[in-house]
Amino acid sequence: MADSYRPALSRRGFLKLAGAAGAAAALGGGGLSASKPAQAAGGLRPGFESKFTVCDMCFNKCSAIARVQGGVVQKLDPNPKFLKSRGMLCARGNAGVEQVYSRDRLKYPLLRVGERGEGKFKRISWDEALDIAAEKMKSIGERYTRCGFMFMAGSDMQSSFVHRFAEAYGSYNTLSHESMCLIAGTRAFLDTFGEVPIPDMLYTKYVVMVGANRFESLVTPDSIDLMTAMNNGAKLVVLDPRYTKTAAKADEWFAIRPRTDMAFMLALAHVLIKEKLYDRKFVGEKTYGIEQLAKHVEPCTPQWASEQCDIPAEDIARIARELAKAAPAAMVYPGRRSSNYTDSTQIRRSYAIVNALLGNWDRPGGLTAARKVGLSGGVPFEPPFYENNPEDRIDAGRAKLMFPEEGSFKLARDAVIAGKPYPVKGWFTYHTNPMQTAANRQKTIKMINDMEFMISMDIQMSDTAWMADLVLPSQTYLERQDPCTAQQGSSACACVVMRDPVVAPLYESKPVFWVMQQIARRIGLGEHFDFTIEQFREKQLSGLQGAMDALKRDGVYYNPSKLYGVYEGKIYKTKSHKIELFNSRYAEMGLDPMPVYTPPKAGGYDRFRLVVGRNAVITQSSSQNNSLLVKFQPTNHLWIHPDPAKEMGIKDGDWVWVKGPHGKQRLQAKVTHQTRPDTVYMATGFGVLSTGLKNIYGEGACIAEVLNDDFDGISGNMAMHETWVSVGREAA
Amino acid sequence: MLKRILMVLLVLSFIGVGLGVSLAADGKGNSRKGKYLYRKNCRTCHVENGKAKELSPVSKTQAQWKTTFADPKKLPCAGEWAKLSDKDLTDIYAYLWGHAKDSPSPAKCK
Repeated sequence: MADSYRPALSRRGFLKLAGAAGAAAALGGGGLSASKPAQAAGGLRPGFESKFTVCDMCFNKCSAIARVQGGVVQKLDPNPKFLKSRGMLCARGNAGVEQVYSRDRLKYPLLRVGERGEGKFKRISWDEALDIAAEKMKSIGERYTRCGFMFMAGSDMQSSFVHRFAEAYGSYNTLSHESMCLIAGTRAFLDTFGEVPIPDMLYTKYVVMVGANRFESLVTPDSIDLMTAMNNGAKLVVLDPRYTKTAAKADEWFAIRPRTDMAFMLALAHVLIKEKLYDRKFVGEKTYGIEQLAKHVEPCTPQWASEQCDIPAEDIARIARELAKAAPAAMVYPGRRSSNYTDSTQIRRSYAIVNALLGNWDRPGGLTAARKVGLSGGVPFEPPFYENNPEDRIDAGRAKLMFPEEGSFKLARDAVIAGKPYPVKGWFTYHTNPMQTAANRQKTIKMINDMEFMISMDIQMSDTAWMADLVLPSQTYLERQDPCTAQQGSSACACVVMRDPVVAPLYESKPVFWVMQQIARRIGLGEHFDFTIEQFREKQLSGLQGAMDALKRDGVYYNPSKLYGVYEGKIYKTKSHKIELFNSRYAEMGLDPMPVYTPPKAGGYDRFRLVVGRNAVITQSSSQNNSLLVKFQPTNHLWIHPDPAKEMGIKDGDWVWVKGPHGKQRLQAKVTHQTRPDTVYMATGFGVLSTGLKNIYGEGACIAEVLNDDFDGISGNMAMHETWVSVGREAA
Repeated sequence: MLKRILMVLLVLSFIGVGLGVSLAADGKGNSRKGKYLYRKNCRTCHVENGKAKELSPVSKTQAQWKTTFADPKKLPCAGEWAKLSDKDLTDIYAYLWGHAKDSPSPAKCK
């Protein structure tokens, strides 16, 4: 039966069904007994159950407690024993209940029957779906080699099983969301310190935050700890072209000109070195290249940077001096998302270098190394080797220092479209939505249309699932049993969490582990998935005595491992075995060994730079359709400064068009001083194609359609802020 | 005489450089094949609670892997090494050296 995708039941019907399904399930006991916070919360009748879970509303994965009554999740509360979130569950975390009971849940496997993107699917059985998936993987693998099938999984506690499957199947082409998020920052800090630091926000005295929005785009424990640190007297300086909530809470906000962060950092380094304010003992003992750096930043005066950044020279010099005074409990916050510019790795290297001059590494209030958690790798396996495979990933060699296991979505997409160096004709996606998160949506559509077969697994009909040939319904996090996962929280903790189902799964939804296991068995790879989640966890926890008891009792296991001074007596994991102000590997590879600033191009005809950013109620593109969160943000607007708006006759609420190099969208304007006159902004995740997202279909504009898809030449990170757009008022 | 000694030293230094490069084969082997071969041939013993010390690419620096591969005869498992072809060893080296502790892409898991 061919039919357009539509729900079979009303929202009320879904909720009734949800209740019935939950009530009918014979769930094992365990979990917590009713506790006072839940009773005080109101709305719950006596006799509810309390069960630990791990939030999945963003990547932070906070431990939480589900209050369950009649087999239905009534409420989610924070786990007061979970130190990484400081016992907090945010607005998105609270809205997690809606993930289960949404009217837009995918309920059963769907096979496309219309054109790609037309939204016509038919319901099929799981057996049929798995047979089709297995047959396509086998057939594409035989005709194009195993690397002809690509796999992509988002941040999820079962994503490692997708990667495990890909390895057993024989494809090197695995992707995650990271190359659209933070990979340049990872590259930069790894290439400076030898590892990616965790900021010790709680004990810091001074934070310069550039290109990060920690009071809206929450990171635990950083967001909470920064607020506590500020209550204890720490100073926060924010540089952002937008007046974010973080800027609003900061001691000082500078509306920095986009793409000039590096100039600011080089000027900080200039002042620290010229005025001998840097930690000379630390730098002398633990770093490599101070002489070269001193020479390199000699011309980078505050006056020079001021002209680039639109920040007064005296403020730049003062901030450098204040940082030095507070050091080592002071930092340039490393940040997360670095999908900004074509030299994002070098920009983040400039952050790392200032931190090194402050001598804050491995010290209280500075940047800390990863603590020992002790979680093992789970059930080991020996995947086969496929002799006829090409030698490397499809995107190999397209960026100078790409991580071979992460790759680059942008560069892989280009390679798939080009069909070079070899064809990739199949794609499996899980819990990720590049149709909305990757710049240049038309190119993503082009890549999909060049594929022979695409499988997408999710809880709702995301735009990515909308484009797939086979759509598989995933269980939500509250219905699932997942492996353990390790977490790093600086002074808060090094810990392990795990997830068990708090209610029975609705409809025909399944976990991706089961799907991978079933397909593996069908194509002769079953031995690599011949275990249960319980057995996998046992292996993971084999070196941690008492961990399972702690997880059952408290919802979290803590390893009381060393926090500061971890590197005493050890080498830094860089080429010189020191913190590299001057990167010797870059020098050998013909890359700039120290960050070289190039001024941004002027806007010209396309006069505005379009920037990406988050707020506290949306996670990338995965939470916009949530019925609770949509009340806070039902659509998106184009933020535009009053000066250009006036010049163009645009008033607040007017419909405008915004045109990038590859696409055009229309949405309403928000005329506001909260952005620079040369910078416009809109939230991600709207302007969806999928009619299966009923709360937001027809709302707002898709930023991915407008963003330019440039890339950072070192890491392959997508460079989304290299987008100049024109804006105009729609004709009445 | 001095000239002759200098010439010999110069020649030796060239040989030394040549050996270093071929030994390093830095990135010349097939790292992905090497991972498979390492798992098949080495991890059988070099695992947690195994017959030999647990090892992964990040157990050593690139220089330490280079030293290990320069003279495997000293190792207790030299007999096992002898069973592997030069090509296999080059691939295993490419994997271990390429994902060493101080490499640009240290191995994430063991």
